[in-house]
Amino acid sequence: MTRASDFHDIDLVNAAMARLPDAFRRPLSRRLAPAIITTVLIAPLAYSAAAFGATPGRLIEGLSRLGNILAFMFPPHLWTTWPEWSEILEGLGETVVMAFLGTLLGAVVALPLAFLGAKNIMPLTWLRLLSRRGFDTLRAVEQIILALIFIRAFGLGPLAGILAIAVSEVGTFAKLFSEAIENTSRKPVDGVKASGGSNVQAIRYAIMPQALPVILSIILYNFESNARSGTILGIVGAGGIGFLLADRMHAFRWSEAWSIIFLIIATVYLIDAASAWIRKKLI
Amino acid sequence: MLELYSLKKSFGQVDAVDDVTVTIDAGQMVGIIGRSGAGKSTLLRLVNRLVEPSNGKILFNGRDITKMKGRDLRLWRASCAMIFQQFNLVERMDVLTNVLIGRVAHQGFLPTIARHFSEAERAMAVHSLDRLGLLPQALQKAGTLSGGQQQRVAIAKALVQRPEIMLADEPIASLDPANATRVMEALRKINREDGITVLVNLHTLDTARAYCDRIVAMRAGRIVFEGLPNELTRDRLNSIYGVGDDADFEIDESVTSTAIAPPAGSQARQTTMA
Repeated sequence: MTRASDFHDIDLVNAAMARLPDAFRRPLSRRLAPAIITTVLIAPLAYSAAAFGATPGRLIEGLSRLGNILAFMFPPHLWTTWPEWSEILEGLGETVVMAFLGTLLGAVVALPLAFLGAKNIMPLTWLRLLSRRGFDTLRAVEQIILALIFIRAFGLGPLAGILAIAVSEVGTFAKLFSEAIENTSRKPVDGVKASGGSNVQAIRYAIMPQALPVILSIILYNFESNARSGTILGIVGAGGIGFLLADRMHAFRWSEAWSIIFLIIATVYLIDAASAWIRKKLI
Repeated sequence: MLELYSLKKSFGQVDAVDDVTVTIDAGQMVGIIGRSGAGKSTLLRLVNRLVEPSNGKILFNGRDITKMKGRDLRLWRASCAMIFQQFNLVERMDVLTNVLIGRVAHQGFLPTIARHFSEAERAMAVHSLDRLGLLPQALQKAGTLSGGQQQRVAIAKALVQRPEIMLADEPIASLDPANATRVMEALRKINREDGITVLVNLHTLDTARAYCDRIVAMRAGRIVFEGLPNELTRDRLNSIYGVGDDADFEIDESVTSTAIAPPAGSQARQTTMA
């Protein structure tokens, strides 16, 4: 029997080296990798610092002003009258409702589209690639740009926000859903087909039970994320708490702004916790 | 009676099944043996048309299976139930629904969307599960069952299809010996009691010998042996499993065996080892 200590024997080492030399030295490309990666990351950083004028002086000046703003955090502003509170709470509620409706609308439209983009469902390559590029296009346009467009069309308010969320989510959902559909196992599909099942039945009995929990989890996660990013839609006037926040900031009412931010954080935290709980139940 | 005539299936340059002509009599339990890649799985999948033949003809009781499409094809698939090596159940759904999937060929569009099955169909499923001793697990998710139990769920599903033939593709390859025995016993019982023809791919020789009335051996897509289990001599086995130029290579059935009792002959080997 050979023991580990035996391998201190130089002959054994030489013999092993002769049999598989690559086991004893790393190829040149591997040895150079750390240096290359460092250069690629550091060089742009140094360039941009110079190009954008990020001098130490400016950084220090900015930091002291940031300190002033942060100082308004404590103590947070507490509104004393109900009308003040109800305005803020309505704004928060509006943001959450916008996120919910926008996400739901996007998911409902995206689900049928997702089948067009799934390799295991859609045999026509050209149609599949066409729908995939379509999803990409929808995703390429930022939510806030969509919001600005919908404000032009439907006026200020939550409707524009809901549509902006829905349209951008169609692109994201359709892509993620079709991946969830593609990631299903082929075996249950064979199982259903071997029993005489049609394509529709294979989707219903073999693919959907596998994909649906993943799809619901994606929807929940994106609802969370839309509740978070939905505040920004309010800033451009598409409804929700963001409008109130922008208003307080423009008026330099920083302590109130901070209170609103704290409430947003609390709301997002609540939604996060609830959706994490539901997702755990689903999968 | 199932008749295959010069059946051929090519994947690109490779002929997975090459000019297979064979007749399977009704009510028989027939084992198909051969090396991995010999074309056993493809042959079974050709019979229920999960794979389309490149050439040749399949007849069942005189009806041409190869020409079927649409509803006829789906009803044919229902009447030749398939058991898979990996069970191919929907793991997230409960056992009962998995068994009910055996009825899909008779289910319309709206009931499919609503996942609706009639009471008669539910009764069939319950009865079928009871027969395989799985009624206590009926409402569990299929994925929570052991491999052996899942394979018996697959058999219960096959039974509610009211099949005339059962195609079993390596049904015990993923199972431990105890479960393998239970699954093979269940297949034999179905064959004997219900008179269902069973066509089973096996890669354990002693299982094929123990359970099958007839054995068909394939090599490189062709049938190289067809006959009774006791006609499988050592020479024939070597030509089936292809020892090739490795002259010392001998097939030792006890090595691949999944039987709990040692196969005949292992006693002798033990004494020579000692």
